[in-house]
Amino acid sequence: MKPTSSTAAPTPTRRRHASRVPFWVYALLGVMVFVSVFPLYWMFVVSTTDSATAFNLPPHILPGGNFLHLAGLVFDTVPFVQALLNSVAVSTAIGVGQALLCALAGFAFAKLSFRGRNTLFVIVVLTMTVPAQLAIIPQYLIMSKLGWVDTLQAVIVPGLVSAFGIFWMRQHISSTIDDELMHAARVDGATTWQIFWRIAFPLVRPAAFVLGLFGFVNAWNDFLWPFIVLKSPDRYTAQIAIKALQNSRDIDLGLAMSGSFLATLPLLVLFFLVGRRLVQGIMEGAFKG
Amino acid sequence: MLSPGTIEKTAAQPARQRRIHLGVRERLAPYAYIAPFFLLFFIFGLFPLLFTFYVALFDWDPIGEHHFVGLANFSELVHDPRFWGAMRNTFSIWALSTIPQLLLALVLAHVLNHVRLRAATLFRMSVLVPYVTSVAATTIVFAQLFDRDYGMLNWFLGLLGFQHIDFTASVWGSHIMIATMIAWRWTGYNTLLYLASLQAVPRELYEAAAVDGANGWKQFRHITIPSLRPIIVFTVVTSTIGGLQVFTEPLLANPVGGLTCGAARQCQTLTLFLYEQGFGRFHFGYGAAVGVALFVIVVIVAAINYVLVTRIRSERP
Amino acid sequence: MKRAITAAAVFTTAVLLTSGCTPGSSSDTGSSDSKTFEFWSFTGIDQKADVDVYKKAHPDVEIKLTEVGSTSETAQALTTALAGGKVPDLVLIQGDDLPKFMQSPENFVDLATLGADQKKADYLDWVMKQSVTEDGKIIGLPTDVGGMAMVYRTDLFKAAGLPTDREQVSKLWPTWDAFLEVGKKYVQATGKPFLDNTPTSVFFQAVNQGSERYYDADRKRSYDKNPQVKAAFDLALKVHAAGVTARQTSWSTGWTAGMGKGDFAAVSAPSWMLHAIRTNAPGTAGKWDVATIPGGSGNWGGSYLAIPKRAKNPKAAWDYIAEMQSPAGQLAHFLMQGSLPTTPSVYSDPQLLAKTDPFFSDAPIGKIYTDSVLGIKPFYIGPDDATIGIELLNTLTSVEQGKVAPDKAWNTALTNVKNALRG
Repeated sequence: MKPTSSTAAPTPTRRRHASRVPFWVYALLGVMVFVSVFPLYWMFVVSTTDSATAFNLPPHILPGGNFLHLAGLVFDTVPFVQALLNSVAVSTAIGVGQALLCALAGFAFAKLSFRGRNTLFVIVVLTMTVPAQLAIIPQYLIMSKLGWVDTLQAVIVPGLVSAFGIFWMRQHISSTIDDELMHAARVDGATTWQIFWRIAFPLVRPAAFVLGLFGFVNAWNDFLWPFIVLKSPDRYTAQIAIKALQNSRDIDLGLAMSGSFLATLPLLVLFFLVGRRLVQGIMEGAFKG
Repeated sequence: MLSPGTIEKTAAQPARQRRIHLGVRERLAPYAYIAPFFLLFFIFGLFPLLFTFYVALFDWDPIGEHHFVGLANFSELVHDPRFWGAMRNTFSIWALSTIPQLLLALVLAHVLNHVRLRAATLFRMSVLVPYVTSVAATTIVFAQLFDRDYGMLNWFLGLLGFQHIDFTASVWGSHIMIATMIAWRWTGYNTLLYLASLQAVPRELYEAAAVDGANGWKQFRHITIPSLRPIIVFTVVTSTIGGLQVFTEPLLANPVGGLTCGAARQCQTLTLFLYEQGFGRFHFGYGAAVGVALFVIVVIVAAINYVLVTRIRSERP
Repeated sequence: MKRAITAAAVFTTAVLLTSGCTPGSSSDTGSSDSKTFEFWSFTGIDQKADVDVYKKAHPDVEIKLTEVGSTSETAQALTTALAGGKVPDLVLIQGDDLPKFMQSPENFVDLATLGADQKKADYLDWVMKQSVTEDGKIIGLPTDVGGMAMVYRTDLFKAAGLPTDREQVSKLWPTWDAFLEVGKKYVQATGKPFLDNTPTSVFFQAVNQGSERYYDADRKRSYDKNPQVKAAFDLALKVHAAGVTARQTSWSTGWTAGMGKGDFAAVSAPSWMLHAIRTNAPGTAGKWDVATIPGGSGNWGGSYLAIPKRAKNPKAAWDYIAEMQSPAGQLAHFLMQGSLPTTPSVYSDPQLLAKTDPFFSDAPIGKIYTDSVLGIKPFYIGPDDATIGIELLNTLTSVEQGKVAPDKAWNTALTNVKNALRG
């Protein structure tokens, strides 16, 4: 279904029938915004006070002044800066890697014909149904054979595999790039690589960017596999560092919340910078069946 | 490569039937394109999966020995009440989190699609905030909010005159707590997916319906939902797959409970049970058996869901 | 095109960054520098203080200390590492986790080869026995023991009309039954809970005061037949039935919060627990005191230092152990941090006897805790000890949460243990 001329100037008839937004809608959306943001806000509040205050009832919902002290404690307890850097490195590598690999493979599946194309694609799609957690035991054994236990590449390399990414890129390339275009390029003597790099990739860059962004966010928040395979604190990613803060027998909630907030902050910043693009990307990349 | 003769010949044919003769290098090119992905895929995607099936046939201690036991792990699993408990927990949490979440996402998408909505972008962005929040962080916050004596939720209940609920102690309570965490995180993401698809629905359909006297609810039922069928299928299947594998929330919601998520395994999901057996007790073989069972379950349930949801009939007003 | 280059550059940089950070074959754990070693500890035991002392005395030594997580998480990480990952040079293993590692002693360096057999005699023999294999290999050297005591709030006791002086309080409860009576009196007077919980504060203490625990003298599992275990279990049920506890699971959020808010007036506390109380409830400094625990001598907790076989720098690790875990070293650690030494020669040291803790009303913690371990009847700790203990504890917690009926609790516990041990 293609959008019709909804971008045309609204006619008087349209205006008459575009109903006003009822109040309850705004109320519902307001609740939604509150619910979405409150836990984050609470995290911030506790990270600026301390455990004892966090447990006060009625709750103190205004921030206190303890942020720097607790943040400092976080950095003392775990190598948090290193953890953030590790997360950045891992997430970037995965985001970029996924975008490139899936663009390549997606292009091949969408536009090139070769023996076994459909079979291989079905296999890829099927693996989307398989949970990642299933294979963690063998994957750990593989990593130990490779000598990759407790290294960042143990987290990055498996993370580059995204069946969903192939599906997504293939979808986009299919719908964005005409066969006519391909054919004309071939007639002009272009090699496959030139077609991909000069024509196809630039056209689907927004979709690839969104895929990379999703890959980045997912990698940033990934917990299970890094938790299993990373053991030294200077290899921790941000998520594992938070868990480490939670570990001590003397659970300091303020400490844990402070670490949590610090680990979420980079993503929030990123979100403010490119969030609109992310949202638009999701919108533009509408699924067409 | 291309000879002038070939081009003339091909130019004469109708567009769709034209074929360019490709050299060997070009014919092999596609394989080069999919090679990086598939190389990694076979090593880190397919092979571990197959290896899981293999390990499940062993009694495998990582720092001791391993010996072949055939299907013994599976028969033990079938008789293990902890396995069935974890299964119950997994399905319960999945249902509690997925169904309300997707319904809410549908409603929100319908509402956000309104042509004259003010601050639409703000709403759309704020709905995605939970998605970018770190899972570990969220779990700690929610666990504190749900605390029996000092959590805000129970404080609020107390104000209303109800008794405090010990969420982590009861089966239902812990499931609700975890389902809330999951729904909180994913509702916005699914909302945007639905919204994106809705944007492709012609306005005229809604206007025609409005002219015919259909109210918001009728429009929702007869236009929105059928138009969204493909994306609903997609989200149901992916939510199923994701929901049946829940791990981080049960692990972190109950730090004291270790790997059992509660003194009586109230909220231990199958994946957490897998982890407990594999990396807590180091019974790799048994853990792998849980993994195989989980795989079978996910495939079956996803297939069922797929079949059910594709039966949403398209109704035209 | 520019975008692609940027992307590729970012990607390459990221990969380079990460590959540069990976040890793989590069010397991370001190293979090039023989004065560096990697040390894994668990949290809450403040090994950092010891490490700092050692580094000051030996400025040329570089120690990478990692607080991996809780005791069981550290044990899990160690197992994972032994299975084929990177192993540390030195690792702290808690007493309950040690038996499982003792089953595969080939994973560790026999400390006797480094000189431990000369030092064996310095340590409490029942503690030392746990870390020596049947053929005499020394796998670990003990660092501390927990001892036992009952910590209470003087201000809350006063408000309830109970004595506050620690001698008098200790006289109030020579037995657990007497303790229960005090609890009932407290609740009657104040209407508030007396003890934090029963699984940890009653069961875990009582079960550690016997002459046998989950394994008998022949090293066979006997938890289900041992009357002492059942007695401890029933005791916990009895105290729970009397309704004198706050039903806060140890180390839960509510427990931490409740400590600061005076939700309970008494907590069973081995020496290492004092640190937790200090951290969790800083606002209550000076309001606590330490009395003897009902029921007699016992020990809960204690850890060992071990060196994995594949350690890159066992010598440096051993030097650390030899120095910091000598009687003098353990005494110094105690004076600094409060963990009870396992070297009985220092028990009569005037510094230890004089050590008081202002947070706990200047209680002579040295004397109180060493007294609690003298007269211990040591029992064998077996490989599945931790599992059995946790299942029993969890069942009692379920009773406390109202999920399991008390009369069915023992059978439920036995079933749970059986299930946990099967696979």
